[in-house]
Amino acid sequence: MSSDNLMTLNLKIWRQQNSKDSGKIQDYVLEGVSPDSSFLEMLDQLNEKLIAEGIDPVSFDHDCREGICGMCSLMINGQAHGPERETTTCQLHMRKFNDGDTVVIEPFRARAFPVLKDLMVDRGAFDEIIAAGGFTNVNTGNAPDANSILIPQSDAELAMDAAACIGCGACVASCKNASAMLFVSAKVSQLALLPQGQVEADQRVQNMVAKMDELGFGNCTNEAECEASCPKGISISNIARMNRDYLSAAVKSKAEPKA
Amino acid sequence: MASKLCTYLKASVVKKQVMAVTGLLLCGFLVSHLIGNCLIYVGSDAFNTYAHALTSNKLIYVAEAILAAIFFTHIGLAIKLTVENKKARPVQYYMKQKTGRGATFASSTMPYTGMLILVFLIIHLINFKFGPVYMTQIDGIEVRDLHKTVVLYFQSPLNVLWYVIAMIALGIHVSHGFWSAFQSLGFSHPKYNCGLKLISKLFAVVIALGYIALPIYCYLLGGK
Amino acid sequence: MTDIKKLDGKVPEGPLREKWTNHKFNMKLVNPANKRKYNVIVVGTGLAGASASATLAELGYNVKTFCIQDSGRRAHSIAAQGGINAAKNYPNDGDSVWRLFYDTVKGGDYRAREANVYRLAEVANSIIDQCAAQGVPFAREYGGTLSNRSFGGAQVSRTFYARGQTGQQLLLGAYQSMMKEVGKGKVQVYTRREMVELVIVDGMARGIITRNLITGEFEKFAADAVLLCTGGYGNAYFLSSNAMASNGSAAWKAYKKGAMFANPCFTQIHPTCIPVHGTNQSKLTLMSESLRNDGRVWVPKAPGDKRKPNEIPESERDYYLERKYPSFGNLVPRDVAARNAKLAVDAGQGVGSTGVAVYLDFADAIKRDGLETIKAKYGNLFDMYERITDENPYEVPMRIYPAVHYTMGGLWVDYNLQTTIPGCFALGEANFSDHGANRLGASALMQGLADGYFVIPYTLGNYLAGEGLINKKVSADHPEFDKAMKESKDRFSKLLSINGKRSVDTFHRELGNIMWEHVGMARTKEGLETAISEIQKLRKEFWQDVKVTGTAEGINLELEKANRVADFLELGELMARDALTRNESCGGHLREEYQTEENEAKRDDENYTHVAAWEYKGDEQTPARNIEELKYDNVKLTQRSYK
Repeated sequence: MSSDNLMTLNLKIWRQQNSKDSGKIQDYVLEGVSPDSSFLEMLDQLNEKLIAEGIDPVSFDHDCREGICGMCSLMINGQAHGPERETTTCQLHMRKFNDGDTVVIEPFRARAFPVLKDLMVDRGAFDEIIAAGGFTNVNTGNAPDANSILIPQSDAELAMDAAACIGCGACVASCKNASAMLFVSAKVSQLALLPQGQVEADQRVQNMVAKMDELGFGNCTNEAECEASCPKGISISNIARMNRDYLSAAVKSKAEPKA
Repeated sequence: MASKLCTYLKASVVKKQVMAVTGLLLCGFLVSHLIGNCLIYVGSDAFNTYAHALTSNKLIYVAEAILAAIFFTHIGLAIKLTVENKKARPVQYYMKQKTGRGATFASSTMPYTGMLILVFLIIHLINFKFGPVYMTQIDGIEVRDLHKTVVLYFQSPLNVLWYVIAMIALGIHVSHGFWSAFQSLGFSHPKYNCGLKLISKLFAVVIALGYIALPIYCYLLGGK
Repeated sequence: MTDIKKLDGKVPEGPLREKWTNHKFNMKLVNPANKRKYNVIVVGTGLAGASASATLAELGYNVKTFCIQDSGRRAHSIAAQGGINAAKNYPNDGDSVWRLFYDTVKGGDYRAREANVYRLAEVANSIIDQCAAQGVPFAREYGGTLSNRSFGGAQVSRTFYARGQTGQQLLLGAYQSMMKEVGKGKVQVYTRREMVELVIVDGMARGIITRNLITGEFEKFAADAVLLCTGGYGNAYFLSSNAMASNGSAAWKAYKKGAMFANPCFTQIHPTCIPVHGTNQSKLTLMSESLRNDGRVWVPKAPGDKRKPNEIPESERDYYLERKYPSFGNLVPRDVAARNAKLAVDAGQGVGSTGVAVYLDFADAIKRDGLETIKAKYGNLFDMYERITDENPYEVPMRIYPAVHYTMGGLWVDYNLQTTIPGCFALGEANFSDHGANRLGASALMQGLADGYFVIPYTLGNYLAGEGLINKKVSADHPEFDKAMKESKDRFSKLLSINGKRSVDTFHRELGNIMWEHVGMARTKEGLETAISEIQKLRKEFWQDVKVTGTAEGINLELEKANRVADFLELGELMARDALTRNESCGGHLREEYQTEENEAKRDDENYTHVAAWEYKGDEQTPARNIEELKYDNVKLTQRSYK
């Protein structure tokens, strides 16, 4: 489309053979990048070039490429999902960069997210946190008519705001403490805001926090870098809600937290 | 029961809440200390009388013990949390940039301003509480002339400068800490969040300026 | 010549409305205490896979669930934007289970199995109840009740939604239910595992071979039944709205082990995608069909009109959908909307720099409802559009063009969702059963969840109890597992050893071009024959000249892709072959030879009211085309008319 303004980029990419390898930054020059390409298409282009040269292509996670599956990650120039606000890496387009730019690409880093290869990390910790309590315990077939539970529109909207989390881990990656509070609080909040989630609200918040701690995430220092880098703009007010719910659960709940 | 409490105290959320509560209590201490300091503007007698009233009361030991406990909890936990936070990212980024929409200077320097304040606190205690003792008489009672200790100390511009720097650090620390404490304790409401952040900043400015005024006043007072 | 087999859909006897109820009563049950003695393998964690895993585990079965992504929350169901249908009739606009059933059969152009569709419509209401109970944050009215909208070709408002992220919310609901069972130890989720072989023992599906995508190791898993919930094969076209990893390989392995593949040529081309921008493009992004509720589709009347859209006066615009279909207007079913876009582009009226797009214009809606209302309804979609195209859709009309989106075809299953291999079931998009030749909007989510939450829990029990599998345990030490494992190891070694010159993606792109050109929106006999021979040639070249870098150990994304593309190179041919042998037009399958004077699909009910179920006969052998006759006792077959 705009073949006249193709760009050349200097890429600095983290290469790491496997989880045991120590890894290092490798330099690449990529020519002919279309500003209409997405960031991942730029990496595809690099990989085609590497394959042609017989070099192992760069491994990175991606799937839906429409900003909803949460599979893509990447620290781009030191920011989770790159510089664009509320945008996943797959929705970041090269027109946000200039010809001749140096672009540093690294994996999301946290003790709880070990690097598997190059830019791919293991975010299984998030699954474990959900398994610890991020659900309502309703077996299939037990549900009353959907309209028998009335929910104020404002609550439903707030719950939806929190539920929009795609589980990408940008919050952890951008937090200087590698804390998972935003992710955990988004799920706790969504369910706490709805009557359906009230029944188990106390156990849920305690168990999910306990699991989060066990997995080696850092502590929240209320910097809000998570909110700022969240591709879905999830608010740290969810963290406050979780703090509040935890406190009240700790005081009144009969059950102890179990991770 | 004890084990249950232990479980809770180990939780990251609770640790932060303990930080918040102790932090807010320390903010309260800052306010009361500042009010006490203000007596210096009234005159040496008022200042010394107040100091004497505080130190001669036997309950001061209880109060000091509680205050020390709050300090140690706040500092000890801060160290523990910082160590945990460092451990949570064993491999650092090659390049890391702030988004510019989240972290502030205050929020990202909390451990450093905190440490500076700790150092300041120790020096402060050495210089004043355990510093040179002069005696004076008020209404026939022999009391410590703390006023003199303070004023003499601040005759050195270096001491003034150090004090001012430390108080700026304190202000910065409090500007994030005050708001942050509310967030950790779960206070968040779209209607009041904005106001709270503003109050937090105002509070920090008042505290910092309030404390900074004293050494400058003493310096200008020139030992009189 | 092989005999044409007539497949029995095992539709229960009795009146349509009572079939499922009676069937549920007549099915054998597994004693609650015995359920824990059964192991079930679920492949895939989309709506169908996650909901089946959760529900079967709740019942007491031991479930092992596999997915290729890093988490069970990533499957492409998550990308569905618009909504999920159910005949709750909350808006009081005359909806009913019967109407939902009728609309779905008609929308599918009378090529779906009547009884399946009725069951789908019947259980749909329970899905909404279940999801609401899980805490899915559906949109609500001010009074707190659930909100509905009209969607893609429906004349009643029966679509439930959660902003533009309905698929995400429903999937997360199912995923969370599954994870709840993980916490209880009833489900084990194996992430980053790809099923590479189905294992058959004594004619029954008894397990799978997987490749661990992190270590490269091959692993054996035995079970009493295998559920394939692996989605569709739209990525055969390379460019589609599917996720990058979506593939047809699991279904294809089952096909090669004896499961028949039904109606592979029935693919849905979604009318509202963001048009292709360049040669490096990796995928197409869908804009929700809900946009057609307020947007007006148009092209300039004069071919080759290169003026900016705002400079083209009202009188020189052709709102072709409103003109041709006055009663449905912009809300005609997907196949009709897509085909008309192609007609406009073929007539030279296409817009944008490539000329391969039409306008979707919101100017009138903004004038009528105000900018804020439109923002509230579609804000996230508009933002996405602007991010991708760098154009502001509030000011200039969107450019859209159809793209491959969904595959109605899939593994043939009977009423119990069982394939022609006993013990191998297919759920969701992976099967063929409910959408006929065209799927209506907001029906895919409904079907995936219906299969997983409300159908398989019954029919699986019936199979397990009926076969008496409790006394016929098979372990992964059985020689058939080793044999299957060796087959797949050899295949992967082969892929690595070719060491040719062309990357996997170049083959995939080329296949995609052939498919889009000849097996796309309009098909001809000649084109399809060309496609078959070109695909055969390409496949041969692939096995001689593909270059797969890296090794078999550890993570090797190129190797994963090569394995999937190798299967697409066979599946693509079957799609073309199916299209070639279906000498009629119906739904998404348009043969140019068979259309009405107004370019509408012209069915041949006399000869083609059947499902084509293809049977594998060996590599490079022509597969057999078997059929399942479709009987319509309750609806009258008519020419679909949306005028």
